[in-house]
Amino acid sequence: MVLVQQSRSAPPRDVVVLAEVSKSYPGRAAVRALDRVTVGFASGSFTAVMGPSGSGKSTLLHCAAGLDRPSEGRVLLAGQDISALREPKLTVVRRAHVGFVFQSFNLVDALSVWDNVLLPQRLAGKRPDEAWAREVLARVGLAGREKARPGELSGGQQQRVALARALAGRPEVIFGDEPTGALDLSTGREVLALLRRFVDEFGATVVMVTHDPAAAAWADRVVFLADGRLAGDLISPTAAQVSTRMVELTR
Amino acid sequence: MIIKLAAGTVRRRRGAFAGTFLTAFLAVALIAGSGLLLFSVLTAGPGADRFAAADAVVAGDRAVVLTTEQDKGDGEVKVKTKSERLTGAPALPAELVTAVAGTPGVATAVPDAAFPVAVDLGGVPVRAPDRAAVVAHGWASAALTPYELTQGAPPGPGGVVLDAALADGLRIGEAVRVTTRTGARDLRLVGVAAPATAEGVPGQAAVFVADAQVGELSGLAGPTAVGVRVAPGADAAAVVAGLQQRIGGAAAVHTGADKVTADLPGALPDYIGAISIFGFVLGITGFAAVFVLTGTVSLAIRQRLRELALLRTAGATPRQLRRMLSLEIAIVTLVAAAPALPVGVVVAHLVAARFRDLGAVPPQFTVALNVIVLIAAVVVGLLVTLLSTAVAAHRAVRIAPTQALRETVTASGGGRVLRVVVAAVLVAGAVAVLGLVPLGGVYGMGMGFVSSALLLCAVAALGPLAVGAVTAVVSRVVALSSVLGRIAAVMTRAESRRVVGVAIPLTLMFAINATMLIDGEILTRVTADQQAARTASATVRVAATNAPGLPLDVAGQVCELPAVTGSAATIGTRVIVDLGGKPEDYPAQGLQVSGEQALDLGVTAGSLDDLGRDGPDQATVAVSGPLAEERGWKIGDRPDFWLADGTRTPLTVVAVFENWRGFGDLVLPAELAARHDPRGLVGALYLRGEPGVAEAVHAEWPALAATDARDPRGGTADVQNQQAAWELMVVISIGFTAIAVVNTFAIATSARRSEFAGLRLIGATAPQLHRLLGLEALVTVAVALVLGCLITGGVVGTFSVAQDGQWRLFADPLRYLAMIGGVGFLGLVAAAVPARLVVRRRSLPGQA
Repeated sequence: MVLVQQSRSAPPRDVVVLAEVSKSYPGRAAVRALDRVTVGFASGSFTAVMGPSGSGKSTLLHCAAGLDRPSEGRVLLAGQDISALREPKLTVVRRAHVGFVFQSFNLVDALSVWDNVLLPQRLAGKRPDEAWAREVLARVGLAGREKARPGELSGGQQQRVALARALAGRPEVIFGDEPTGALDLSTGREVLALLRRFVDEFGATVVMVTHDPAAAAWADRVVFLADGRLAGDLISPTAAQVSTRMVELTR
Repeated sequence: MIIKLAAGTVRRRRGAFAGTFLTAFLAVALIAGSGLLLFSVLTAGPGADRFAAADAVVAGDRAVVLTTEQDKGDGEVKVKTKSERLTGAPALPAELVTAVAGTPGVATAVPDAAFPVAVDLGGVPVRAPDRAAVVAHGWASAALTPYELTQGAPPGPGGVVLDAALADGLRIGEAVRVTTRTGARDLRLVGVAAPATAEGVPGQAAVFVADAQVGELSGLAGPTAVGVRVAPGADAAAVVAGLQQRIGGAAAVHTGADKVTADLPGALPDYIGAISIFGFVLGITGFAAVFVLTGTVSLAIRQRLRELALLRTAGATPRQLRRMLSLEIAIVTLVAAAPALPVGVVVAHLVAARFRDLGAVPPQFTVALNVIVLIAAVVVGLLVTLLSTAVAAHRAVRIAPTQALRETVTASGGGRVLRVVVAAVLVAGAVAVLGLVPLGGVYGMGMGFVSSALLLCAVAALGPLAVGAVTAVVSRVVALSSVLGRIAAVMTRAESRRVVGVAIPLTLMFAINATMLIDGEILTRVTADQQAARTASATVRVAATNAPGLPLDVAGQVCELPAVTGSAATIGTRVIVDLGGKPEDYPAQGLQVSGEQALDLGVTAGSLDDLGRDGPDQATVAVSGPLAEERGWKIGDRPDFWLADGTRTPLTVVAVFENWRGFGDLVLPAELAARHDPRGLVGALYLRGEPGVAEAVHAEWPALAATDARDPRGGTADVQNQQAAWELMVVISIGFTAIAVVNTFAIATSARRSEFAGLRLIGATAPQLHRLLGLEALVTVAVALVLGCLITGGVVGTFSVAQDGQWRLFADPLRYLAMIGGVGFLGLVAAAVPARLVVRRRSLPGQA
């Protein structure tokens, strides 16, 4: 079973491309949250985005995921230029190609685990792929908890529901914004291991913002940001390497 | 520390408190405004002092006073004194005037016979400005004010002097017609007089006739009051004491400001109706304000559970949190009260002005500013907010600190048993009110309101239990519509507490206002039905156009027209009944019939033929069904009554009748009514006869108008004034409750910002959220309307059965649907606007 319908043998292509992307916020014109950033995220890869506080990593993620619009430059998501799109069209494109895992799990308390997992597809007006959703729930270890309400689950379980929800729609890319931020160490590790497995076994593409070198070490590649600009990257990083680089950047 | 935290929270998070602020502002303003109005009518001055030039005035009783003693068993005797104002004044015996004049220290004793008259010039009524009462006296009374001639001469026999306020446009020497209960006479205008005092006699216009003609014109056996001037050098207090001793219990001596009460009651401003209206206004606004305020405060607190949990993690004890919440709400309420008080004063003035125009309050009514009332309004507002904060905070502050770390913050439900018990007690109260108080009587409307208020409180106490049950049904219907419908259904079922918070104000709005409106409509309809039934056999209804009515002898002449085959003359009056120690004033009619039946009172027992046949004193009465039932009167009973002038007399019950609405509860022989009512004119004369009877009447008496007897406009103007005042009140009530509804939706929606942001992130578009919220609002509004219709149905149904035995859910189906549609539309709009403000169509989820 593959997550994205494409041949595993084909050369990896970039699912998300940011070209010369700048972002400044009105009223804060002097500060550029992103300054002419060009970066691509390859299909079937796990990328971590790191940087000190205020380096622009969340802005990068928001622009890449179509949650925010860049001031300049272009963003290609699954081959489509989304930088010119406006709401609510943007949501429609995002809904079709992107899954999200956030620090806050963003589950709807009123809905059961099952309804939460299928919610994005239902909002998209698609007929949900229930077999796949059941398999994803089983993979994240929540088989049999379909009827539970988010409030009855632990934080780690809730984040796994969020992960299942992100995967259930077979997105081209999953964006994570500090997905382990609200979790304790071991629960966080479980969630990262799940992300890794989805990349390895199903060819999923994951882009994750984090400030934790240990979390970043689960990725294939770490992209560093400082003051809104790219500050190099690391391939197949270890936690120690990442820490060292971070210390250099903060200095 | 807590004070700083509370003040800081309020200052920084103005938005979060805006809803509470607005509600507190409106509540305090309305309570202050209606409180001022009630205070003003309760303390309204007794009217202008026509006896300004007299030192003391001797007069008979102006009220019926009953004293009952109740032995409470433990040797203690409770004495209750209740009184009811008379509408007329008894004539004083001639020997009393002699006795007053002969009292040592009395320089002069001026007898004053005050009697209402109607003046017209060639059939056109001569009216005083501002609906002032037109009251006639003998010329000797002019000295009591004093009135002084500005033109012409004092009236001799056949002559009349008019108040300057009446004489406008009239010429000395013209003949004017003066109508009293003894007949209509043409008198020559010989002079114009005006009060010589600075303040004058506002609210009254005087007509002076020759002293020798007073008896003939007024039909009074003696004066209604005697004005006394104390001899120079005499001790006024001693003279008054001497007077009172000399006249004994036959009359009372009035001095100072109390002199006014010796005037003719009909000449003084009457605040009785206004007191009940404003009392009702205060009751309704007070209830709505307390209810809405409680709801808003607890909604606002529930939405801060997360913040409270965070403070608990930071080490705040529940006690500290309670203090913080109380302080916050106190600050908000007091800040809201500051602008609310002046607004309340303005509202009171506006309502007073409107009521003056409508004639629901006397024209001289003014709003009295009273600091204590204003302070009380603030105190009430403060108490309500503090109490509801205490109740809402009770559970909220016990929130476990760990809740702060969780994504889902829920207040523990609990209190199921308590809720059910409280609701059961409230429902039992409502059932008791509906079942035990005779809703057909004067308290019907008020009790209808009280019981719907109790039922509303029961629904609010049941809260999630009641709302949850209805939501479960309604949401499943909405769920059929679409995917969003299913989500909305699930959300409303899961968040039943939020649905409660928003639905209850809507239920309040519908239940209170619909109950009042429909009860009013049913009364109007039942009254119109009974009016139609009464007059079905009459051909025409004759009324005077130049005066409030026609003298009984003129009515007699009309009935003798050859075209007339049957007649019924009615004289409106008041009769006071002893309701077990409480004197109660009832509308009554004097009735004189001839020939075929022209007025069908729907007699159920006895016969109207016996009315007035009981010897020369005609001491008989017919009683309405409800009154006969309430007092347990049977045909042949002989209870005591007080007639309009205070004469106490036993009357034999000869008939019980059904068609009393818009007519009166008691029917007396016409001559008895005319003899004891100060006005004593035939207000409506129903004739049965050949076609052409109307023309025949008009040809003979041009001042009489004969109209179709079935014309629904035959009701009294009084009733219409009260109805207009009532409708104005409903408008105020609708306005307030509507603002409360909008406010609650705004609070509930704005508190869900983060939830909406989450939904946006997982792929909901802004329009989808708008639709989702619209569907949720649809469920909420439908739930509110179902509950509102249940409450209204119970109360209105019982009320309607009490009126005429017929069960009704509404008076007019279209108007009922319009009410439902109006409230529903308001709810949906109130939900849609904040939804569109919080989730903008083009907003990006990343910025949410």
